Amino acid sequence: MEYVTTPPDFFPWLRESGLTFLLVVVGLAKISILFGYLVTAVRRGPVAALSITSKAIAGGVVDLVRISPRRVMALAWLAIKESIGRRVLVVFVIYALVLMFAGLILDPTLRETGRLYVGFVLNAMLYLMLALAWILSAFSLPNDLKQRTIYTIVTKPVRPSEIVLGRMIGFSAVGSMLLAVMALFSFLFVVRSLRHTHAVEAGSQTSLVTGHRHVIDKNQVGEEGGTTDRAHSHSHHVDDPSRGEMTGPSQGELIARVPIHGTLQFTDDKGQPKEKGTNVGKEWTYRSYIKGGSLAAATWRFSDVRAEDFCDAEGKTDSLPITMNLRVFRLHKGTIDRGVLGSIVLRNPDDPDLVSGMITFRAKEFQLDEIDIPRHLLSGKPGPDGRPMRLDLFDDLVSESGELDVQIQCEESQQYFGMAQEDVYLRSRDGSFAMNFIKGCLGIWLQMVIVLSLGVMFSTFLSGPVTMIATLGALVTGMFAGKISALVAGEYLGGGPIEAFVRIVTQRNLVSPLEVGMATTLIEMFDKAILFILWVILKLLPDFQSYSNIDQVAIGFNIPGMLSLQHLLSALAYLSVAMVVGLFFLRTREVAR
Amino acid sequence: MQTQETGSSKHASANQSRPGDSSRDDVVIETRNLSKVYRDFWGRQKVRALKALDLEVRQGEVFGLLGPNGSGKSTTIKLLLGLLFPTGGEALVFGREATDVQINERIGYLPEESYLYRFLNAEETLDFYGRLFEMPAKLRRERVKQLIEQVGLNWAKRRPLKEYSKGMVRRIGLAQALINDPELILLDEPTTGLDPIGTREMKDMIIDLKSRGKTVVMCSHLLADVQDVCDRIAILHQGELKELGRVDTLLKVRDVTELQVAGLSDKALAEIRSVIDADGAKLQSVDNPTTTLEELFLSIVQDSEARPGRKATGSDS
Repeated sequence: MEYVTTPPDFFPWLRESGLTFLLVVVGLAKISILFGYLVTAVRRGPVAALSITSKAIAGGVVDLVRISPRRVMALAWLAIKESIGRRVLVVFVIYALVLMFAGLILDPTLRETGRLYVGFVLNAMLYLMLALAWILSAFSLPNDLKQRTIYTIVTKPVRPSEIVLGRMIGFSAVGSMLLAVMALFSFLFVVRSLRHTHAVEAGSQTSLVTGHRHVIDKNQVGEEGGTTDRAHSHSHHVDDPSRGEMTGPSQGELIARVPIHGTLQFTDDKGQPKEKGTNVGKEWTYRSYIKGGSLAAATWRFSDVRAEDFCDAEGKTDSLPITMNLRVFRLHKGTIDRGVLGSIVLRNPDDPDLVSGMITFRAKEFQLDEIDIPRHLLSGKPGPDGRPMRLDLFDDLVSESGELDVQIQCEESQQYFGMAQEDVYLRSRDGSFAMNFIKGCLGIWLQMVIVLSLGVMFSTFLSGPVTMIATLGALVTGMFAGKISALVAGEYLGGGPIEAFVRIVTQRNLVSPLEVGMATTLIEMFDKAILFILWVILKLLPDFQSYSNIDQVAIGFNIPGMLSLQHLLSALAYLSVAMVVGLFFLRTREVAR
Repeated sequence: MQTQETGSSKHASANQSRPGDSSRDDVVIETRNLSKVYRDFWGRQKVRALKALDLEVRQGEVFGLLGPNGSGKSTTIKLLLGLLFPTGGEALVFGREATDVQINERIGYLPEESYLYRFLNAEETLDFYGRLFEMPAKLRRERVKQLIEQVGLNWAKRRPLKEYSKGMVRRIGLAQALINDPELILLDEPTTGLDPIGTREMKDMIIDLKSRGKTVVMCSHLLADVQDVCDRIAILHQGELKELGRVDTLLKVRDVTELQVAGLSDKALAEIRSVIDADGAKLQSVDNPTTTLEELFLSIVQDSEARPGRKATGSDS
């Protein structure tokens, strides 16, 4: 899973996306008009078709321009009443049951309970809301047509655009209300489930609670108290361990880290720059490796490094937190529970002489290494007096343009560190977890609203059951957009769908080519056609996965506000298209048939 | 004495008033060569529901559409409401195409089965439809209250419609049709489901609407209801207009003369006029007898089936 912690710059994104959107809309409009004209021409003749088509377009535009907010609100109110009449509040009961069972099923003794609980509640909300949106939107308009209640609507001065928009808004309001209440209960459930304290035992460790205990380093506990070690992704405040009291509540478990990523550059064991590190033979080539006990290094260049981004609650910046998710590849076992020694050196990109001394750490497999580099540190090179200089990290090591180089090396020969660009980041001041949780819910809300809109759009020209199938198809395709996109791009072995089917039936492996001949040519031709259709569908349907930030919230990364804004705008674009398409279908439909 | 022959030819045929004959300002509904063909998914013709219908309905009229099942009267109403699109010809309401949304501001429609949202109560229903007309809240409240009292549902205004009887639903359906104080009211089988008192009230309401200058177009199977309230009627059969004219004119049997004579002796029966003169009796009235609408309707349908394709030719007004 790839987390977007640094969204693209807003205005270039807006310009590019807006242009693509306009091109697609204009292209679709042209195709739809041509198709509509041809169908009408077949039925009514080419001249009449011209008049009918132009009237439909003009009428549609008028319908869009003259939307009455009051009528839309009236129709939205009707949709809300209808939803309540259809017992949507049952979703609350289902969710309450889910939470009750979650309390029994979720294992609080696992190491990353925060991730488990947050991921669970957000996923439960997502699937419930999507199911609700799917069912609500699919049957509303078809039922109105079937039961002919629509007769009393369309014989009032109501425009088709108002009917479509009213439904979208009404159902979205119901979904939003449900989601808001669920989100509140989910948040309370997570916070209360994870909140716990330990009894301090013998002054140096805590009691065992939910499968873990903490160690208290007495040297780090002063008059104002201190914190325990970090175990199971959290720590506790301790007032005075010698008094044998209870610890404070768990802290640091529900977080919203704000990472600042840099660009990665490798150097080989001779100190020469290289595009990639060493390949240690792993199939997944996402990470490259650097050899220990050599000049091989991985250097990240961070931009826009500012002291104020790393300040504490009191506004002081005493350190630079660096988080590393390094892989360790051992040629010999060594001391397996001790970790492999590595070093960090900070350097001013503009002045090679301004370099910090070596800061060592031990990297363990599958564990985040979090290091606070002190703001004031000694230089790695001697000053004019022959002794190491005292450096201020932000004043001396960060260049005037705000850049900072961080070099990591493995210090043990015969061992390797593996890394990718995203594995090391500067950890800026954390965002609010509650706010991040809300942003995660916003992602769910956007997906729900898109599904609702698609459902309402399909229901303007399809029956209820067919609308359900169409909406589900769009949802599933959108959820697997990444995989389908890879299939279309030819990233999977075994060819397109038909070739893959032939390989399954004939029990061929994925890599051996098919025999050259007419059959293979035909298979490839049909595959190309299918993949082209898939490509078109992918371009038209929303990529639901891109709206889903659940894992990002669960794992504790802040969702940038700008990213949420971009998602909101792109969702609005889909909604507007769905509304216009729905309007034209409803407008050209005889409701009494 | 009264003799009567069946067959529409024996009834007064009604001429439709032609454009330009009189002021056209008061024409509320006009159909010209209006046709409707129902097609299947592939565009193949299934049913020719309406064939070249020419009609005019003027302001203040109560106009009845009659016809057996499948005759095209519901199709006509739906075309006039823009619920269906014409295959040929045009349907104009207030001088604009029937599909124009704006004309709906001036229309009230009571559908055949009061297709209303059954999860709403009477107040909510009327308030909702009032909001569709963008009526201000205060006016809406007043209108809702007035209409609920008018249709006699004050006692049940907070009950959801799903708990209503059919007659109650018809009443609230009528109320929603009148929420905007429309100039033109289209009533599809308005007395269906109503008890005799409700039927009487509905007919009184239609007459009241007429007295207030409203135009009412109704279609009904209940011929007595139509006879009671309609000024003019059109009889449709198999999608064609078979008869059109004023009810009182259409129901006159023109080739039969009815004499009402007071004090006529038995001797004078053979040669009535001469005997009346000779006998010194006083002739009180000479008139055509009227048939019932039911008889007229049946005779037109029988004639139409015997001679398909014949359209209304004659005239009245």
